Amino acid sequence: MTPAAKSPNIPPVQITPELVRDGLRRARYLTTAAVETTLYLSLVLEKPLLIEGPAGAGKTEIGKVLAETLQTDLVRLQCYEGLDEAKALYEWNYQKQLLRIQADREQERSWEEVNQHIFSRDYLLERPLLRAIAAPRKVVLLIDEIDKADEEFEAFLLEVLSDFQVSIPELGTVTAQTRPAVVLTSNRARELSEALKRRCLYLYLDFPGVEIEREIIALKVPDLDARLQDQVARFVNGLRKLDLRKAPSIAETLDWARALRALGIKELDAATVRKTLNLVLKHEEDLRQAETKSGGLLAGSKS
Amino acid sequence: MRVRLLGFIDQLRAAGIRASVAESLDAAAAASALGVEREALRAALAATLVKDQADRSTFDSLFDRYFAVPERERGKGKRPQSTGAGSGLGQGHAAEAQRPAKEPKSQRHGAPRLDKSEAENRRQPSRAERAAERLARRREILTTPFEAMDPRLVEEAGELLEELSRRLRAHLRRRLRRARRGRLDFRRTIRASLGSGGVPVVPAFRRRRPGKVDLLALCDLSHSTATVSDFLLALLAPAVGLFRRVRLLGYVDRPVEISFEHGHLVPHEPLDLAARSDFGRVLQQLWQGWESKVTRNTLLLVLGDARNNRRPPRSDLLARLHTRARQVVWLNPEAPGRWNTGDSVMQSYARHCDRVIAAGNLRELTAAVESAL
Repeated sequence: MTPAAKSPNIPPVQITPELVRDGLRRARYLTTAAVETTLYLSLVLEKPLLIEGPAGAGKTEIGKVLAETLQTDLVRLQCYEGLDEAKALYEWNYQKQLLRIQADREQERSWEEVNQHIFSRDYLLERPLLRAIAAPRKVVLLIDEIDKADEEFEAFLLEVLSDFQVSIPELGTVTAQTRPAVVLTSNRARELSEALKRRCLYLYLDFPGVEIEREIIALKVPDLDARLQDQVARFVNGLRKLDLRKAPSIAETLDWARALRALGIKELDAATVRKTLNLVLKHEEDLRQAETKSGGLLAGSKS
Repeated sequence: MRVRLLGFIDQLRAAGIRASVAESLDAAAAASALGVEREALRAALAATLVKDQADRSTFDSLFDRYFAVPERERGKGKRPQSTGAGSGLGQGHAAEAQRPAKEPKSQRHGAPRLDKSEAENRRQPSRAERAAERLARRREILTTPFEAMDPRLVEEAGELLEELSRRLRAHLRRRLRRARRGRLDFRRTIRASLGSGGVPVVPAFRRRRPGKVDLLALCDLSHSTATVSDFLLALLAPAVGLFRRVRLLGYVDRPVEISFEHGHLVPHEPLDLAARSDFGRVLQQLWQGWESKVTRNTLLLVLGDARNNRRPPRSDLLARLHTRARQVVWLNPEAPGRWNTGDSVMQSYARHCDRVIAAGNLRELTAAVESAL
C-alpha cells in the first residue's frame, strides 16, 4: 500500500469557491458559473454529484478535472450491464489463496493460522469502490454511465454511497477515513431510481454555447486563426440545433478545429465543410442532412 | 431565510416537483454555504431540489417569481462571503440567467405575486390531496378492468407502463443472469487443474444454453382487445434486447407482422381492424407462413379473448404448434367466469396451452407476463 506511506505529508485541501474556479481553469476546463457553483456545493456538502446531459458535453471530464483540482487520485468505475459487487467492490483472490494453502501443506499449520493468513488484505482484490473508500486521503470516485448498470446494482450503490463503509465478513468493516468526492454520470439510457437521485446533487450539463465553445477552441487549439475559431464554434452550434442522430461533441469539435489547422485552411467555405464534416458527424443521414443545410449554417457562422 | 426557503419548497411541491425532507435539508445547507447572491442561490437550489431536467423550467419560473428582487435591493443584496462563487463568476451568470428568465418575466407582470397567507391556505390541502390523488390514480389504473377503461385512463396508463416495463426488464435480466452460470463442471475443472499441479485454480462452470428465448407474440387487435394489445406491446417492446429474437404479430382475421415504435403500433401491411375475429384462420396462416419460425426455443405468447365468431377454432393446429414450441402461453383479458360463454372457445384452445392466464387489468397483465417469460 504505497499511498498510505506518503499520505500524512499532504495536508487536506481547504475547499473554497476560488479553489474550484481556479482548479477548473488550471485543468483547462471552461464552463459556466452555475456548473462551478454546483461542483463547489457537492464538495462542501460532501454529497455525490449526479451529472446528466447529452453525450460529449464533458460529463466524464468533470470527474477527471475535479481530481486534478483537489490534487488527488481519480478512481474510476465504468458501469456496464451485469456489473456486480465482485467487479465493483472487492473479491478474494482465490487463485492466490489456493496456492498459499498448497504451499503451506507441508508446514502443518493449524486451521486458524491458515485462516488468518489467507483472509488478510494481501489476498483481497480491491475493486474501485473499495479502493475509493479505503484510500487514506480524499479521492475522486467517478462512477461513469451509471444508467448502463442494472437496477440491482444501483440499489447496492445506494447503500455504499450513504454510509461510505463496506463490511467484509472475513475482515471486518472498512470505513472511509475521508469521504471520497463522488461523481456519477448518466446518459439517460434509463430512468434512475428516485432514491439515488434524492441522495445526489443534480447537474444537467448541456453543450456550452457559442461563447464558451469558442474559448475552449481558443484554449485547446490556440494556433488556429481567431476568425476561424469563431466560425467553427458557430457552425457546430448550428449543427446541434438540427435534428441529428448524434450531435457533435466538444471533443469532435476540437478534432475538427485541429484538422482545419493541419489542412492550413483560412476560411470556412462549403467545399471545406463537405470535405471535413465527417470529423464531426459520424452518421450517414446526419452528414446528408447537414450538407443540404450547410449553406444556411455557413451564413449563420459568418455573421 | 429559512422560512423563505421552506415556502419556496412548498411551492415547488405544489407545482409537482417532489422534493423530499432530506433534499430540503440539502437545499438549506447549500444555501447557507453559498450565501444569498441570487444566481448562486438558483444554482444551489436547482442542484439540491430538481433532480430531473424536465422540471427545470418549472423551477426557474417559480424561482423567478418567489425570489423576485425588488429594484432598490439589487445593489446591496450581496454578502461578502458570496463573492467567491458568486460575483467572480458573475458575468457568466448574467448571460446564463437571461435565458430562463425571459419566460417568467412576462408571468411576473401578468400574475401578481401570491400573497403569503393566501399561498399557505391554498397549498396545505392541495399537497396532501395531490399525494393521495396520485396514489389513488395509480391504483385505479392498475386495477380497472380493461373493458371499463376510458380513453383518459388509457392515456394516463402510458406513464405507468414505462415503469412496469422497466420492472419487467429487470426481472428478465435477473432470470438471464441466473441462467448464465450453471453448476460446477467437474470434468472441465479437473482438466483445467492439471496445468496447476492438480489444484483446481480456475473452476469451470456448466453453461446453460441458450439463455435467451425467441418470442412470438400474437396480439388480437380487434376492437374488444386492442387496448390490451397496446399495453402488452408497450410492456414488451423495450425488452426486445432480452430475447434472442422477437416477432410481433397482430391479428384480427389473419396475422400481420407489426412493430411498436415510439409508443405506437405499426402494422407492416394493411390490416382490416373491422373484420370479425377468426383465430382459426389466423392459426392456419400462421402454420403455413411461420411454421418454420416456431422452434424448440420459441415462446408463443397469445393475447386474445378466444371469441371466434362461431368459426372453426382449428385447435388441432394450435396442438401442432404446441408440440414444436417450447411453451404456449395464452393471456385472456376477460374474466375467467366469462370464458366459454357465448362464442368464446377458450376451452378448446386451453387444452393445447401450457398455461392460460387471466389478465383482466394492468396489474394482472404485468404479473402474467412476468410469470410467463
